[in-house]
Amino acid sequence: MTYSDIFKDHLASPRNAGEIPDADASAERINPVCGDRLRLTLLISDGRIERARFLAYGCPPTLACGSALAEMIEGMTIEAARCVSRQQIADALDGLPARKQHAAALAVETVRAALDAERDSDFVMVK
Amino acid sequence: MRRVYLDNSATTPVDRRVVEAMIPYLTEKFGNASSVHFFGQEARAAVDRARREVALLINARPNEIVLLSGGTEANNLAIRGIVENVADHGRHIITSLIEHSAVRGVCDALEKRGWEITRLPVYDDGVVRLDDVRAALRPDTVLITVMLANNEIGTIQPIAEMGALVREERARGRRHLWLHTDAVQAAGRMPVDVEVLGCDLLSLSAHKLYAPKGVGALFVRRSVRLTPQNIGGHQERERRGGTEAVPSVVAFGAAAALAREELSQRIDHMQRLRDHLETGVAARVPDIVFNGHRTQRLPHLSNISFRFIEGEGLLINLDMQGVAVSTGSACSSGSLEPSPIIRALGRDDEMARGSIRFSLGKDTTDEDIDYVLEVLPRAVENLRRLSPLYQHALADRACVVADEKDVLAPAI
Repeated sequence: MTYSDIFKDHLASPRNAGEIPDADASAERINPVCGDRLRLTLLISDGRIERARFLAYGCPPTLACGSALAEMIEGMTIEAARCVSRQQIADALDGLPARKQHAAALAVETVRAALDAERDSDFVMVK
Repeated sequence: MRRVYLDNSATTPVDRRVVEAMIPYLTEKFGNASSVHFFGQEARAAVDRARREVALLINARPNEIVLLSGGTEANNLAIRGIVENVADHGRHIITSLIEHSAVRGVCDALEKRGWEITRLPVYDDGVVRLDDVRAALRPDTVLITVMLANNEIGTIQPIAEMGALVREERARGRRHLWLHTDAVQAAGRMPVDVEVLGCDLLSLSAHKLYAPKGVGALFVRRSVRLTPQNIGGHQERERRGGTEAVPSVVAFGAAAALAREELSQRIDHMQRLRDHLETGVAARVPDIVFNGHRTQRLPHLSNISFRFIEGEGLLINLDMQGVAVSTGSACSSGSLEPSPIIRALGRDDEMARGSIRFSLGKDTTDEDIDYVLEVLPRAVENLRRLSPLYQHALADRACVVADEKDVLAPAI
């Protein structure tokens, strides 16, 4: 199993690691098969992600995908963040081994879950 | 960058003295050991000398040594060779839950072909119990195959006691029961004597002994008959066809001689450094568990589970700082394979995933261990800071402390 230099750099120096205490949106998703876990907290202002922080447990691709995701979505609009694809995350890491694609899928699922939660909470407030 | 190799259970560097011994057989002494002319006889003599050295390492006779390609082939020949030969007498095999895949895989394959397999538990110390072996014996049991020492946690199994049990059974008239042990990890790291062990078959691999990869041996006790698995040549007394890998065999012989001569000093050296490593890790890193029996184990190996993090992440972090270790867990295609060995100890998935094997060698130095003790705590801490499991645990602990304060606060 070989990983790219950028992948290893994400592992050695994770981007945006941590947790935002008063986050506007958050989600923690678990891959039910392998137990890998990704937690994402977001600060959102005017429809744009101002800050994104991640925590991750699992194999190295899960950590690297969490890091790549959190770095990528900072500054994005909610709509753009919702459209981030597995391929974009894999590309940001110079590719993922075929057997580790599930890590990118977990990242995509987690950001969408966080944004869904944020949308639903807005809905509750309006009501 | 400093490089520290603590993965000697995966393979060892070839000893310079071993390289020197094999070089003539890669160059001017190139004969085929089966040839009648001078070149062939020169190679034959070298193979015979090496065979004697391998036999001496385990207190066997030279004609009880079958030279072959390594541990996996030795295990295949031992298990399949025996059970196929005596299939008419019984089809039951006893093994353990913590065998190397070269034994586990062969047993699994035989199970699909109609053999019955009993896989013995190892309890939380990673050691098979003799009573369990005795209880598993059936009239149709033909083979007990249990490793001498485990490759991931280093625990030493009671093979000599199993050997005595097999001899007792023979004394009672049972003729078709054999004992095989995979000694690939044990040889060169503890005394291995086939008479003390009382085994009928024993597997060895050269590259765990500071010789090159691609060569090994199977000890086959004199009276034991095997169905050969490599057919097409008369080599190794019809037990393993194929031209002898003369340079590698010579290297194996040289390495076996060195292992025998230097065994006690190697053991003392590795155990002292391993204990230094374990004491240092325990003092510097909280939330760890040492896996396997604390004393009944190989001197060069330490297996540690680091809570809240996953082994492969730690492995890569250490690798980026020049430290080579290994982990028994693998995660692929979204399906987790936590180390079956650590799971067999009764540990949960998190502990099995967070296990790392440090395996020292005869050339590991104090400075190597000091360097690992410098970089390891930081690598663990960095991964834990990223881990939601760790953050949850910290929050839980804060709650417990707060609760305790409430309880202890004097009523006003």
